[in-house]
Amino acid sequence: MIQWSCNGINLLIISQANTLRLYLTCIRNTLEAAMCLQNFPCQEVERHNKPEVELKYVTSPELLLNPVLICRNEAEKCLIETSINSLRISLKVKQADELENILTKKFLRFLSMRAEAFEVLRRKPVQGYDISFLITNYHCEEMQKHKLIDFIVQFMEDIDKEISELKLSVNTRGRLVATEFLKQFI
Amino acid sequence: ADKPTEIDHHLYEFGSVEYHTQASLSEPNNTYLSISTPLLSQGVLLSHGLPRHATEMFEGIPPDVLEIVEPAREGYQLTLRLDLARIPRKKDAVKMITQISSVQAAILSFQLKEILRNISNEDLSLGMYKPLKLVYHPRETFFVVKQPTKFTAVFPMRFKENTDVSIATAFFQELMDVGSSTALAKVPPCHWSPIPPPELRGELIEDLSTNGGFVSFEISSRHVEGKKLDKTVWGLLNFYSLVKYHVKCTRGFIQRRIRKRLQNLVEVIKSKLLNLKAALQKAGIEEDDRIEKVQEGTNQIHSKSILFYPKTLDLFHNCHFLLSEAGYRRMRKLISLSRSKLLKGRRSLTNKIKRIGSRIKIHAFNRFRRRWLTFPRFSSSYTKLD
Repeated sequence: MIQWSCNGINLLIISQANTLRLYLTCIRNTLEAAMCLQNFPCQEVERHNKPEVELKYVTSPELLLNPVLICRNEAEKCLIETSINSLRISLKVKQADELENILTKKFLRFLSMRAEAFEVLRRKPVQGYDISFLITNYHCEEMQKHKLIDFIVQFMEDIDKEISELKLSVNTRGRLVATEFLKQFI
Repeated sequence: ADKPTEIDHHLYEFGSVEYHTQASLSEPNNTYLSISTPLLSQGVLLSHGLPRHATEMFEGIPPDVLEIVEPAREGYQLTLRLDLARIPRKKDAVKMITQISSVQAAILSFQLKEILRNISNEDLSLGMYKPLKLVYHPRETFFVVKQPTKFTAVFPMRFKENTDVSIATAFFQELMDVGSSTALAKVPPCHWSPIPPPELRGELIEDLSTNGGFVSFEISSRHVEGKKLDKTVWGLLNFYSLVKYHVKCTRGFIQRRIRKRLQNLVEVIKSKLLNLKAALQKAGIEEDDRIEKVQEGTNQIHSKSILFYPKTLDLFHNCHFLLSEAGYRRMRKLISLSRSKLLKGRRSLTNKIKRIGSRIKIHAFNRFRRRWLTFPRFSSSYTKLD
């Protein structure tokens, strides 16, 4: 079921019955449409070239496109903000319980602190989200667009998979330790 | 040591345990070891004193090797006299040394055993089972509650960080699941709750304020009969240490796993995201050569490079566009231009530049320029003026 709101932000609400694949396909299609970036020097300051999507005080609203929010459910969503020379993708990862919350926070913070290794990763996520990417026209010139989109979609899949595996490993370790501890009472 | 020396050392261990080692020249064969360990519970006194139980600790060790000194040195609960020269050198030495070095653990175990045996009948007849507070470590207290058919050991869990709380809570859940499984039906039932159990009603608030909940074990008579008593008591005394160690190891495991995953992701972005430069090199185009030729304006044509001598200056601005992926197809078309066409383009440009440079023509200006507007030539050698 898809609903459109009329407050400037296009909101796609995907029903619970759809799987992760549909969510990722929607994100992929949106990125393919949004990733048309070109070099655009700053209109306010001479000889400056800034990603327009990152500007705190928008002085040139004509350079920004409408942000797109794609929600899989209440806990998982993706915000894609586009401008003429840059694109920002913010992700909120699902966290079912306290342990997943801790693991997700640790993992994504670890990645964000080493953002220079990824080039397209933002050091600090946008408020309300767990991780953010910033793609500029320079990245599109150096890297292939479809591979960049593949990387982001694959990253989202890998994050979910990694968090689940980490949680399983932690529980398995706990079970083994508990078994060994209780065996001494027999 | 071959030469007898004076020794007087104080050693401190986790749990406020103190060891005092003394050796004097007057008794070269004897070494005195004094041990001080905090009592588990200040409210319960040992009925027969520590040294009586200490003799049971050192069963199997000959009296000429180890002797208990009575009374113990001031400030210590137990003093042992050791003759290190009489300790056998073979395999038995390791066993004997291990037994002597675990004296502190044995003292604490005996304290808990004494407490469990000597709960007074008066308490039971009143029907009130007052929880007994035991302090193994200053910040780690636990309670033992005597009930008609069992003992309940309750551990209030406290952690410094939220991460530790989450990991420990997951561990306690697994402990409950494993304890209730059919494979381990004989183990003491284990329970975890975020709120204090009813047995601890009336205790001080500071003892009941926790962030990790309460873990309780129900110890029945079958868990404390015979040799199982030692294992049960030791397991209970070291439960806090076990949980702390498990949390520490799990954090290290998570960190290693995250670091490994990061390396995999970085490899993906470096290898799979093939950059345009590599793609250009594949097609036999050298970008740097092209830019140099345009900037220098030389007439040489490299067979491997694309010669971008634009017919008009406007084409130069399109070079940057051609670098982008969208202009990749246009660049490939340009590569296919023939050499003669490129030379023609270059020639026409140079002719245009010449025409622009000499737009205004003055008759006989060249002769005037050659005569009057040339710089005078100076000889390389000069004569020194005196």
